[in-house]
Amino acid sequence: MNKQKYFPYLFLAPALILFALFTVYPIIASLILSFQRMEQGEYVFVGLANYARLFNDSIFTSALTNTFIIFIFQVPIMIFLALILATALNNQLLKLKGFFRVSFFLPAVTSLVAYSILFSIMLQDEGLFNNILNMVGLSSIPWLSDPFWAKFSIIMAMTWRWTGYNMVIFLAALQNLSTDVYEAADIDGAGKIRQFFYITIPQLKPVILFVAILSTIGTLQLFDEPFNLTGGGPGNSTMTLGLYIYESGFEYFDFGYASAIAYTVVVLVAILAFVQFKLTEEKK
Amino acid sequence: MSNLVSNPQKTGKKMNTPRANRRKTIRKKIGLYSVLLLFTIISIFPFYWMFIGATNTSGKMFSSPPTLLPGGEFMTNLTNLNNTVGIGRVLFNSALVSGLYVVLALAVCTMAAYALAKFEFKGNKIIFLVFLLSMMIPYQATLIPLFQLMARFNLLNTYFALIAPMLSYPFAIFLMRQNFLAFPKALLESARLDGASEFRVFLQIVLPSMKPALAATAIFLFMMQWNNFMWPLIAIQSQDMYTFPVALSSLMGFSYVDYGQVMVGVTIATVPIIVFFLVLQKHFISGMLGSAIK
Amino acid sequence: MKKTFKIMAGIIGATMILAACGNGSDSTGSGSDNKLTAWAWNVNVPVLELAAEKFAEENPDFELEVVEMGTSDVYSRLTTGLQAGGQGLPDIVLVEDDRVQGYLNSFPGSFMNLSEKGFEEHSSDFPSYKLDLLTVDGDVYGFPFDGGPTGVFYRTDFFEEAGVDADAIETWDDLIEAGKVIKEDVGVDLIGLDLHGDDGLYRMMLNQQGTFYFDDEGEINITSEESKRAMEVNKRLHEEGLVRNTVGWDAWVGSMVEGRVAIAPSGAWLYGSITQQGPDTAGNWGVMQLPTFEEGGNRASNLGGSNYVIPSATDNEDLAYEFMEFFATTDEVQLEAMEGGLFPSLNTIYGHELFTQEDEFFSNQAIWTLFADEMDDIPGVNYTGNFAIAQDESIKAQSAITNGKDIEEALEEANRQVENRIGN
Repeated sequence: MNKQKYFPYLFLAPALILFALFTVYPIIASLILSFQRMEQGEYVFVGLANYARLFNDSIFTSALTNTFIIFIFQVPIMIFLALILATALNNQLLKLKGFFRVSFFLPAVTSLVAYSILFSIMLQDEGLFNNILNMVGLSSIPWLSDPFWAKFSIIMAMTWRWTGYNMVIFLAALQNLSTDVYEAADIDGAGKIRQFFYITIPQLKPVILFVAILSTIGTLQLFDEPFNLTGGGPGNSTMTLGLYIYESGFEYFDFGYASAIAYTVVVLVAILAFVQFKLTEEKK
Repeated sequence: MSNLVSNPQKTGKKMNTPRANRRKTIRKKIGLYSVLLLFTIISIFPFYWMFIGATNTSGKMFSSPPTLLPGGEFMTNLTNLNNTVGIGRVLFNSALVSGLYVVLALAVCTMAAYALAKFEFKGNKIIFLVFLLSMMIPYQATLIPLFQLMARFNLLNTYFALIAPMLSYPFAIFLMRQNFLAFPKALLESARLDGASEFRVFLQIVLPSMKPALAATAIFLFMMQWNNFMWPLIAIQSQDMYTFPVALSSLMGFSYVDYGQVMVGVTIATVPIIVFFLVLQKHFISGMLGSAIK
Repeated sequence: MKKTFKIMAGIIGATMILAACGNGSDSTGSGSDNKLTAWAWNVNVPVLELAAEKFAEENPDFELEVVEMGTSDVYSRLTTGLQAGGQGLPDIVLVEDDRVQGYLNSFPGSFMNLSEKGFEEHSSDFPSYKLDLLTVDGDVYGFPFDGGPTGVFYRTDFFEEAGVDADAIETWDDLIEAGKVIKEDVGVDLIGLDLHGDDGLYRMMLNQQGTFYFDDEGEINITSEESKRAMEVNKRLHEEGLVRNTVGWDAWVGSMVEGRVAIAPSGAWLYGSITQQGPDTAGNWGVMQLPTFEEGGNRASNLGGSNYVIPSATDNEDLAYEFMEFFATTDEVQLEAMEGGLFPSLNTIYGHELFTQEDEFFSNQAIWTLFADEMDDIPGVNYTGNFAIAQDESIKAQSAITNGKDIEEALEEANRQVENRIGN
């Protein structure tokens, strides 16, 4: 049994060595950078100055607010949609299941280039979206140039991209649920909608938590959509933490500050993940 | 499968007037299919449009009303793209990097996950927590130290630089660990009592039942590496090392972009992921399950 | 147990092999003594290649490896390399006008000082605005390449239909009046602008008036009279309903080639985009100079353009300088740039027939003469190392003004913001 003692370490070794070298080292290096600032091309130690600066930075405040607004609306909407689609696809009598499954998953694998060009064209003042609105007698919407609608557009684009991905995860979980409960509910005359809320959602709680945490990480680091669709504008209305980290480093050459923002994000994600975890646990 | 059997009974029990009920079912069905179809169209449209872009000249992408029919420029665009980036070489690089990455990362992460899931040892919990925490760090922050590291060891512009940094990938370890947790401990014990070495237990008893989880993780890793852009962009130094995303991005000039070429490239780049997904999707679904249910 | 080791050894071995294969590091700096590496984006690649070919005629085994990449990719990689202390940088990099001061100021000592190499002897061959841009503390740090002399690209067919005479347009007021007539008679918007995301027109108007976000001393100057006047034009265009809102580059070009707008004020390089994306519109275009703020005022300005810099980390300093000097000052090479729609800033070629000839796409107008004549009148302005921050804030101000905010208030707010951000 002595073997068993060092066996796990042996199995962990490759992962740990690679992790230490290519993940831990850069993390520590950038953490150190977050206490530094470049002056005349040289990095000098400035203590907590970068972090202190966050408190007086109105762009950071906007980025934080926007990220949370997007997070609060996008994640629940997406999870809800994904659950509904998964439930629909879980219907045993449904034909073409494989076809629907692949179709819904496709957005997650779309190349970012194609996706961003297409959305920016469709969201123009006289783009496809407004064409359709006009056709049904509604007036055009300034999708990308109004603070409210720009956020809306970003939430819409993100939802398009990730709903199918999450649906696949839910679908997997649904297939493993016992059908007995549903049969009993059928006999009691509970409708499909009641079944969805009172059986499906509670049973899927651990999966929903898993998806929610992944989406939280994704949303708080949100970069692709604002970078490609709105550039953070109009004003700062779609500036996100992910975009601000990128801009601080690569546009304004302030990598120390960028790192400080990044580590603030880490703390926030950790807190949120913890809260989500506690919330789901409590109700059990 | 058991669900399939149970369904006819289900409908049978509620039946009071068979004809009215059937009509209701049909109406419901039509409703369901139209909703699903609507979502399908929304999901697939960009792909269709990508194909339209690939078969038309560059300017057509912006016409309004939008061009919705394929044109005849596919071969021209393909030839142009091949002349600018060399499709064969790019495909080779992308396939090699992603393929090798998936195999190696799967090995590294599976082993680590197995150790974390099935053994009790000092540091187990902490190691797992550190893995999880590292997922929360925005990648933009660690790009430059990683670049400096690779440069110091003179490893920039190598396949190694493209593959190594993410071999130990926390999400994959997490996914596999959750699946291993479900594996009955009693089976392990009895195999050990039979005198099988730890390594044999892992390879011959545990792994075979993990195929679905492995498939799921493989799809995930492949998708990520195939589409990876920012790190390859800065780690690659010469054009003959370009992967697909980097090569496509190289077409984006300041004042002029040939979108016909870009769309052909995007189309070619998307096909392998779809094929990969199609082949492994059945496993994918039950594999994700294992992780999520815990 | 042995098997475990075997597998692990296998994995580690495989990673090692990977480390060995691939191309090693031959493009970091230089491989051989006579080889250079350059980073540039699409239309610039053939120009570099031609220059390398010509250069090799006198330097037999000279070799140039051009790594083609997207414009923004050049910056991502350049920034990374500079942050890493010059590691992994090529011998030659192409950098746009708006960016170059940012790099020169933020990474002092990271680029070759061309004055020390004697580049001053060519000073008279380039417009002064371009040299100003590349000068830090009296020394030149970059080779001027293409320029962006501005003009108003306009649809001759729309102007004709509305009975507007382009030659009679002198001031921005005239242009706005013409826009109203065109909107009335032809039904298209005058101009495509992204008032919430880009400030190109505003910058052109600032430069035209000889100022910029910063004044000559590098002091923030967003609240200047010139700046207010420029914002006023933006605002009036918007209020008169003459603006088609085009978000992003693609939508903007799309609006032009699709005939949704009548004009596009821009740098000369727009030639390439219009001719290549909108071949169907051939013969329906013309170019005039920017209108002025008062009659007889300056009509010359600049938007865009790019320059080559040599990172100090190069192992091949002399060769890199010699080659780039050859590139920047050889007529034949610079004329090649025009193939891609670029407008060279080397003034020794302006007498060439390529400049004097009439352009069919542009209703047989000699548009290159128009641009070339402008070059010497373009005021030099101070971009400073904080261009990116100032631009970010000016776009926000512009967006607020478009949404109804008072111009003065918005500009003062922007001024404060820039001061804050730079001060930190």
